[in-house]
Amino acid sequence: MLVVFVLLAILPLLTRSDYVTHILILILIWSFISTAWAYMGRFGIVSLGHGAFLGIGAYVSSLLFNYYGISPWLGMIIGGIAAALFAGILGYACFRFGVIGDYFALVTLAVGEMVALLIIAFREVTGGSLGFTIRNLNNAPLYFQFTNKIWFYYISLIFLLIALYVWKAIDRSRMQKALRAIGEDEIAASCLGVRIVYYKLMVTVISAFMTAVGGVLYAQYVTYLNPHTLSGVGISLAIPFKAILGGMFDLWGPTIGTALIVSLEEYIRIAYGTKYIGISEMAYGLALIVLIIFLPKGLYGTIREKVEGRRAYL
Amino acid sequence: MVEQVLNAAVNGLLLGGVLALLAFGLNLIFGVVKIIHMAYGQFVMLGFYLIYALTVQLHVPLLISCIIAVAAMGALGVVTQYLLIDPLLNAPRLNQLLALAGLIIIFENLAMVIWGADYRGIPIHFPILNFGSLYLRSSCLFAFFGALATLALLYVFLHKTYLGLAIRAVAQDAEVAQTMGINSRTIYFVTMGAGGALTGIVAAFFTPIYTVHPHFGSSFTIMAFIIVVLGGMGNLLGGFISAFIIGIVTSISAVLTTTEIADIIALLIFVLVMLVRPQGILGTRVA
Amino acid sequence: MLRVRDLVGGYGDFIVLHNITIEVNPGQTVIVVGPNGAGKTTLLKHIAGLLKPKKGIIEFNGQRIDSCSPYKISELGIAFVPEGGRLFPYLSVYENLKVGSYPKHARRTFSEAVEEVFELFPVLKDRRNQLAGSLSGGERQMLAIARSLMAQPKLIMLDEPSLGLAPKIVARVFEFIKEIGTKGYSILMVEQNAKKALQLAEYAYLLESGEITFEGVRDEFLQNPYIKKAYLGI
Repeated sequence: MLVVFVLLAILPLLTRSDYVTHILILILIWSFISTAWAYMGRFGIVSLGHGAFLGIGAYVSSLLFNYYGISPWLGMIIGGIAAALFAGILGYACFRFGVIGDYFALVTLAVGEMVALLIIAFREVTGGSLGFTIRNLNNAPLYFQFTNKIWFYYISLIFLLIALYVWKAIDRSRMQKALRAIGEDEIAASCLGVRIVYYKLMVTVISAFMTAVGGVLYAQYVTYLNPHTLSGVGISLAIPFKAILGGMFDLWGPTIGTALIVSLEEYIRIAYGTKYIGISEMAYGLALIVLIIFLPKGLYGTIREKVEGRRAYL
Repeated sequence: MVEQVLNAAVNGLLLGGVLALLAFGLNLIFGVVKIIHMAYGQFVMLGFYLIYALTVQLHVPLLISCIIAVAAMGALGVVTQYLLIDPLLNAPRLNQLLALAGLIIIFENLAMVIWGADYRGIPIHFPILNFGSLYLRSSCLFAFFGALATLALLYVFLHKTYLGLAIRAVAQDAEVAQTMGINSRTIYFVTMGAGGALTGIVAAFFTPIYTVHPHFGSSFTIMAFIIVVLGGMGNLLGGFISAFIIGIVTSISAVLTTTEIADIIALLIFVLVMLVRPQGILGTRVA
Repeated sequence: MLRVRDLVGGYGDFIVLHNITIEVNPGQTVIVVGPNGAGKTTLLKHIAGLLKPKKGIIEFNGQRIDSCSPYKISELGIAFVPEGGRLFPYLSVYENLKVGSYPKHARRTFSEAVEEVFELFPVLKDRRNQLAGSLSGGERQMLAIARSLMAQPKLIMLDEPSLGLAPKIVARVFEFIKEIGTKGYSILMVEQNAKKALQLAEYAYLLESGEITFEGVRDEFLQNPYIKKAYLGI
């Protein structure tokens, strides 16, 4: 474990290549986001609309900055809270009314798309489909802008570690036991007095907050926002895919899945040029299908299962 | 203003006819195979592109292209069942959803790669009919009656033939149906094939009305889900009715506000129905 | 006609049946009695092809059927009337009967078969267009049995036809089953209500906790002291 951390810490210093660092940063940021998604996913609460939280976080923070000069460090918290509130209301409505499983997934899908449409609809403010750019301050640490990528690397790394820490914290809490019970048999759990709505809501709100923060991270790194990359169906499906590929029941699963996919996408981009982005996406869709059919526990999860010879969660 | 709304309402009604076909396909598949076909709108998109490729790029007469497209989409439905759904029949529902979501990604990008992101249309023009202050696109009228005719045929098929009866039986109790000599697996293939063919038919009706682009499927998939949930999942009659409701509501909203707001309203209806009455207006059952 | 030999089976790894051997000869009415949970339904499900045995052989008219699909087995001439009838709730009485005649060879004789059924059961004729889900318990059971006849079967398997029915209705249902037996159909029936069921039996088996603990012709059964005490309440 320690070796991994040390390695991660010195990696960018080793490579010297701006490009490799860039890839690593993307991996870290998306790992953060998919891990946050997996907080819910691992307990059977599958959301196909996390793009909504991503978009809310990114747009709230960046708009506050562009129009009011509020630092994204603060904007991140505000955006996170906004997303958490949104998730709270949506989650409460769903869980209270018994919308679970695939119906919940469909509702989240609709909501993710709604947020994208809302962003596009208010185009005077958000720039609509064409998106908008964050005001460039060159190097301004207090405003989360750096000219040197290395900063983004370490900040993203810290955030990822925080996300992993939260995962472990959830594991140790009562929430984990409750959610596992709910995951296995919701009706039985409710008969035992487990406060279903409460626990599901908690994990949903946490997931939403973290995802929104991730959205801000990404927006600050790329300095450009677009409703199709930060909300909507496409990204909402891409996030779970990364988590599932690596194995959403395991701590490192989403990270590994993300690392694999981002690398794969980059490889195809280099090998075949941007014209063939479509092909890489197709391969990715195909891989998703093959995975679901043959390795429902994801790569990491399946390997871990074999190695440890015991059932992973659920 | 009133005229505009009236116009929109009527055109929405006509559109509802074709949406009803879409809803029928989804409900049939949900009722029989018990799966939510996430990529249904994308099937329509592919059918459309196929007609486009045949007609505009290969100069095949439109009617023949449409027939080929219907057959091809039917075949695609069967292949999807074979490769995707069959292996996942006993998997958790969520896996089925995700696998079909993967299909969405594949189809949309396939379209992007082959035909690019531009809007593609088929240059046929149907006249616009004038009834007093009402302007009706005859393409919509044609689609409306065509859709109703197709639905009538489907109704006859389901209620008067042995195969149709078998499909309804499998939807209600697949295990017992097996003991009556019905091969459920075959029925699943037939259903998926029929569902696929329906998307080809819908695409054919859409050709004089819309232009296609790689994200064409998404809006229809979501619209189709809204209709199906509103009418009650698996309920063929419910889907029929709610198709018209949604068609009219979205058309009127689009006139009163903007298309995006109209879509948002539709999505809102969907979420509300899911929360308040997930069985839809007529309840989930199979006709 | 039907031979089950050393059948070992259950649900997945959960074994319910242990070395079951039973036989049904052409035209015979065979009853399997036993307490709740003994595995009676499981046995019929194995024969019908809905479950696959772990070990053992199931033969029908000399042909092995233990690895066949249910629809194939139905085509071979085995009809299955599950517990409660399990009609198609949203199909009408008429349509339920029609589904019964789905196998190709049965379609030709459908119209005559339906007329025969309606003669036997005027009640069903009156309700021919009613949804099956709205019938009473007794009517449902009758319809289920009638439905199974539509496929021109050689062997009819009945799973607890008396379940949930009032005694008078049970009597009528059993009367009907007896009549079917006299028409030449082979019948394999499992029942908890041993007293009534054994009246119809030519041969019977006792299934307890997944094992055959006794078998014999009807009189042997009716005179066995253990059975008399445990199952006949005598």
